[in-house]
Amino acid sequence: MTKYIIKRFLGMIPTLFVIITLAFIIMRLAPGGPFDQERQVSDLVKANLEAKYHLDESMPKQFIRYLSGIVRGDFGPSFKYSDHDVAFFIFTSLPHSLLLGTIALLLATFMGVFVGIIAALNQNTWIDYSAMSLAVIGISVPLFVVGPVLMLIFAMKLQWLPTSGWITGRDGWVTLLMPVLTLSFPYFANIARLSRSSVLDVIRSDYVRTAKAKGLSQTVIILKHVLKGAMLPIVSYLGPAFSGIITGSVVVEKIFRIPGLGNFFVQSSLNRDYTMIMGVIIVYSTILILMNFLVDIIYSFLDPRISYR
Amino acid sequence: MKTIDNGKKMKKDEVTNEFNQTLKGESLSADAWKRLKKNKMSMFGLFMVTIYAIVAALAPVLPIHRYDRQVLEHQFLPPSITRTAGELMLERRIDLIGRMMNKEKRSEMSQKEKAEIADIEYRIINETAEIDGKIIKVHERKYLLGTDDLGRDMLSRIIYGGQMSMAIGLIGTITSILIGIVIGSIAGYVGGRTDYIIMRIVDVMYGLPYMLLVIILMAILGKNILNLFLALSLVSWLTTARVMRGQILSLKNSTYVEAARSMGASSARIIFKHLVPNTLGIVIVFATLRVPAFIMLESFLSFLGLGVSAPYASWGSLIQDSIGGMTQYPWRLIWPAITMALFLFCMNFLGDGLRDAFDPQSKNRV
Repeated sequence: MTKYIIKRFLGMIPTLFVIITLAFIIMRLAPGGPFDQERQVSDLVKANLEAKYHLDESMPKQFIRYLSGIVRGDFGPSFKYSDHDVAFFIFTSLPHSLLLGTIALLLATFMGVFVGIIAALNQNTWIDYSAMSLAVIGISVPLFVVGPVLMLIFAMKLQWLPTSGWITGRDGWVTLLMPVLTLSFPYFANIARLSRSSVLDVIRSDYVRTAKAKGLSQTVIILKHVLKGAMLPIVSYLGPAFSGIITGSVVVEKIFRIPGLGNFFVQSSLNRDYTMIMGVIIVYSTILILMNFLVDIIYSFLDPRISYR
Repeated sequence: MKTIDNGKKMKKDEVTNEFNQTLKGESLSADAWKRLKKNKMSMFGLFMVTIYAIVAALAPVLPIHRYDRQVLEHQFLPPSITRTAGELMLERRIDLIGRMMNKEKRSEMSQKEKAEIADIEYRIINETAEIDGKIIKVHERKYLLGTDDLGRDMLSRIIYGGQMSMAIGLIGTITSILIGIVIGSIAGYVGGRTDYIIMRIVDVMYGLPYMLLVIILMAILGKNILNLFLALSLVSWLTTARVMRGQILSLKNSTYVEAARSMGASSARIIFKHLVPNTLGIVIVFATLRVPAFIMLESFLSFLGLGVSAPYASWGSLIQDSIGGMTQYPWRLIWPAITMALFLFCMNFLGDGLRDAFDPQSKNRV
């Protein structure tokens, strides 16, 4: 097992390397350099700028410089905001996005599994139908419709919640409520559907019948036997769900004006601030790869049939 | 003992079961259609999607206003079925003057305000404008779903926006599926090192948050509809390629492929004449499942300001435009949102139904 974990961990390095290389190539090939401005600058100024950002060196040398910087957590200088490094922007905004994403994912998982089990146990009753209708709504209605509609109802018409702002502002933790609900809704819906169908599969299996025959109570059967078997598809869905939450947070951060990484990403894409874009992409991919790694490890713990040699 | 011919003559190629009843052979699609018809929600989805498609296709001949025609005086008019734009304009003006009067605590309108109202009343009756070569009384237009910030008709913008969203969804899906079919079948059929390299590329691309890739591509290539297609198709062929590869792997050792190979058919001929047609059913079902995802992607980009831009509209860009003033002008958010959500809803129902109907495990089940 330890061997498998180490092997899987080392396997992440080539993937990351490929991503960084791709990022570097795209960054250098992209049309429209960072210093293309409407105002023509003299050759001397341009040469000085290029020297400052090491653009005058050969490509391999630049690449090695970039790579060794990343290992030390340094993503180079921002092309648009000359007084700060990319790393500064990333590490000040990342915690907000991580907080939002983690809470949303946890909420989606727990609520989804809970609702899925309840729906499966009450199959073909109104509870099942209403839970599954809610899930279909969650899957079909995009985030950027859910967010503004929630805002319109709860913040503007009913005035129960603040429209925007963040936990660092004066409204405090209440501001977290709507963004988290919006972001987790589609994943809650998917997880609820998944767990309903996998609970229905497991509940008819022989070992559950055995447990029933032994006279175990319903709660024990659900918690100890059904849930463990039904968790597998949900755990393997967590990887894609996390990727979706990263993308979704871009929209949610924009709607609720949260000072997170997603907002930054869109801004820097519109500004063509290439070092910033690539920095954000590398951070996102690292998080995603780590998440997939964790999911694999959890999966191998849950499913005794899989042996990793 | 019962004889086979009980009165009627049997045709040569008729198949009978153990009770001597004639069995009719059914193609996969006929069987699937029979099962789809039983699924009420899916049929409702199919019906609604058809209506959406007809409305979008007929948009140029429908009796609606032009989607890009601006009438600046008609900004932010609320939806109304019975009242004309002129009446709404007048009412809004009188309302504003009334509030001014309250504020200044007077009961009479000033001379200037009276003149203004008379002017509006005069213009409502007499002012004309030329639209599409016809001279019409511009203030007698009605806006069933209200107007936007430039006085454009929301109904028309939603219909044209739907046309754009659906077209992008359809063409994008077809392009990405074609790319996926070609790459996936080559990987599956050729195998070996080619397969390894292609599948590693797919793996690495899966590791990236691909929506963010699209954003980068749009930023690099520049905003226009062609680039939007390009960027979306470039990142969304991955799953099709995987599905296709799996299908080809399971079929490539079948006897008919061997027969073709023994007759000297080239690899390309075997792939595209023999293997691909046999997997099309699955691919088509997969495509229907992808269309709503594509529409969501496009509207997501438009929402971030990286997709369709003015004067064109898509559902995403309409929703994006409405966010700013959604308390004062809620109809600008609500109508596009409802239209889009309903369409995606129906598309999802249809897709679920199709998947169940084509599921080989449910064959001949009714």
